[in-house]
Amino acid sequence: MDETVAEFIKRTILKIPMTEMMTILKAWDFLPENQLQTVNFRQRKESLVQDLVLLCESKRASLRDAALLDIIYTQFHQHQKVWDVFQMSKEPGEDVDLFDMERFKSSFEKILRRALKNVTVSFRDAEENAVWIRIAWGTQYRKPNQYKPVYVVYYSQTPYAFTSFCHLKSNTPLLSQALTVASNHHKIVKMDLRSRYLDSLKAIVFKQYNQKFETHNSTMPLQETLELDMHMDSRIIHENKIEKERVQRVTQETFGDYPQPRLEFAQYKLETKFRSDFHGGILAERKEPLRCLIKFSSPHLLEALKSLAPAGIADAPLSPLLTCIPNKGMNYFKIRDK
Amino acid sequence: TAGLNLGLRVLAHLERLETQMSRSCKNLEDPPRETAESDLGTKIHKLRCLRDKLRAEVKQRQARIKASTANAEPDQTLEISEQEAVGGKEENMKAILQAYRFTGLSGKRTSRGVCVCISTAFEGNLLDSYFVDLVIQKPLRIHHHSVPVFIPLEEISAKYLQTNIQHFLFCLCEYLNAYAGRKYQADQLQRDFAAFLAGPLQRNSLCNLLSFTYKVEPQGRSFPFCARLLYKDLTTTLPTDVTITYQGTDASSTSWEEQRASHENLFFTKPLYQVFTSFARNGERLDMSLVS
Repeated sequence: MDETVAEFIKRTILKIPMTEMMTILKAWDFLPENQLQTVNFRQRKESLVQDLVLLCESKRASLRDAALLDIIYTQFHQHQKVWDVFQMSKEPGEDVDLFDMERFKSSFEKILRRALKNVTVSFRDAEENAVWIRIAWGTQYRKPNQYKPVYVVYYSQTPYAFTSFCHLKSNTPLLSQALTVASNHHKIVKMDLRSRYLDSLKAIVFKQYNQKFETHNSTMPLQETLELDMHMDSRIIHENKIEKERVQRVTQETFGDYPQPRLEFAQYKLETKFRSDFHGGILAERKEPLRCLIKFSSPHLLEALKSLAPAGIADAPLSPLLTCIPNKGMNYFKIRDK
Repeated sequence: TAGLNLGLRVLAHLERLETQMSRSCKNLEDPPRETAESDLGTKIHKLRCLRDKLRAEVKQRQARIKASTANAEPDQTLEISEQEAVGGKEENMKAILQAYRFTGLSGKRTSRGVCVCISTAFEGNLLDSYFVDLVIQKPLRIHHHSVPVFIPLEEISAKYLQTNIQHFLFCLCEYLNAYAGRKYQADQLQRDFAAFLAGPLQRNSLCNLLSFTYKVEPQGRSFPFCARLLYKDLTTTLPTDVTITYQGTDASSTSWEEQRASHENLFFTKPLYQVFTSFARNGERLDMSLVS
């Protein structure tokens, strides 16, 4: 086994938390069950990793096998990457898409290899007719860097592809081209949408985040009145009950009853003239637009926004710039004067 | 009960009078004047008669009340069954509305428009339901939906939603039912006829391209066939293109060629489970009479 491959496998296994070790090794399915049982999983991690690497060596693990392990690790730790979304489109009046996964994979790899001799491309089929692609980039003279790969997740016959954030921007056009051509599309555009939560990005662009529908089968839940604590002392009165109920209603109409998709931030780049009520201020009556960047951050931005008005921190309804995020599939905005 | 009360009061009064009488009888040494005595005597007699009469009447009334409560029950049950009838009608209506699902297309009014439910089915099997929540405004728009992203909903809406909503719904129904039918066939093949497959079934999101290798007999020593089924028409559940190839070394022999051709025809005309059921039933030799 190549030393670089051995080192790569060693570093990958070292990353795996002990609680997930067995699960991930089983998913990898490279070391058979009976061999795994001969390993002492209770020893110190470094020693365990050494034992496992020796086993891999004895089975002659290839770069291909190592790359597969890396994909599986990343699938278990999706949130460690930041994901971008690309949207592809076809010409109108195109023939029906007869997507063949094997042809997609070979076409994708061929396009990359034609442009770049040194590249490692690996695939792993996933649920819902999707595929995870791992690409380790090299240059004309340098071997691929296995420690800075890019991941692409593509659901067949959809116009969207999710890619992990790539520091090496220079390879993005090539990646875009490979994706577009292999999946029978014509154009590709990067969306202004980014998050660590792949599931949420999928829910947003596939429009799957609101799955509550009124049917005759389900009994419509009674209009939820304010969650006033019924056990509270009767001497306590709720001020502004009517206003509170209005806020609750408006919030419910805007954000719905469903769990919000998870985003960590929303960013607004403003290039607008400063508007002020005070005349003669420093910023007032400037001809040039004011440039500033406003960023809202949160462990769960949309839930946080949803709770602003009921908590009394903001007026309801919230600005459409905030509430349009899942509907428009954007969390990066550029606002200019019209 | 008023009469009962009166009767009881009279009885109490009579008893008081009786006690008074017996007391006064004890106290009085001299015999009372005859006329007064005889008057009182008659009075007592009359009162006793009245008391007995009232007692009898009380008893009768009590008996009547008992009888009437027994009779009142059928009356009460009549009331209850009326309620039940109304409740039953409501249940019935609800059940009918729920059953509309089985027509394949049903809907429910919402505060902003209507929520349409498309229930798919294939060969008598009820499959998934998909929803489209419409906002009745000018222009008509879709608020949210559960149609899979690979179904061309945007295309269909662009063509028909504003001009002909019936056609929009009909078209969407066609696509969804066909998709559900193809998916059902592919799932069933993987699940129930796995023994016939020599390798994994390759498919895609729309289930409009299926690629697999199969044998006509699960334990057979014969070479497998390779099948490639294309469904270019997304509104159908049968393939538009079928390519069967035989990998065996004796590929040139006529019997294998006949089989190959007949398989092709089968895949064109029958849903997948029927094709494989016929393989199962006939074992090695394919019965030509099945090819209709």
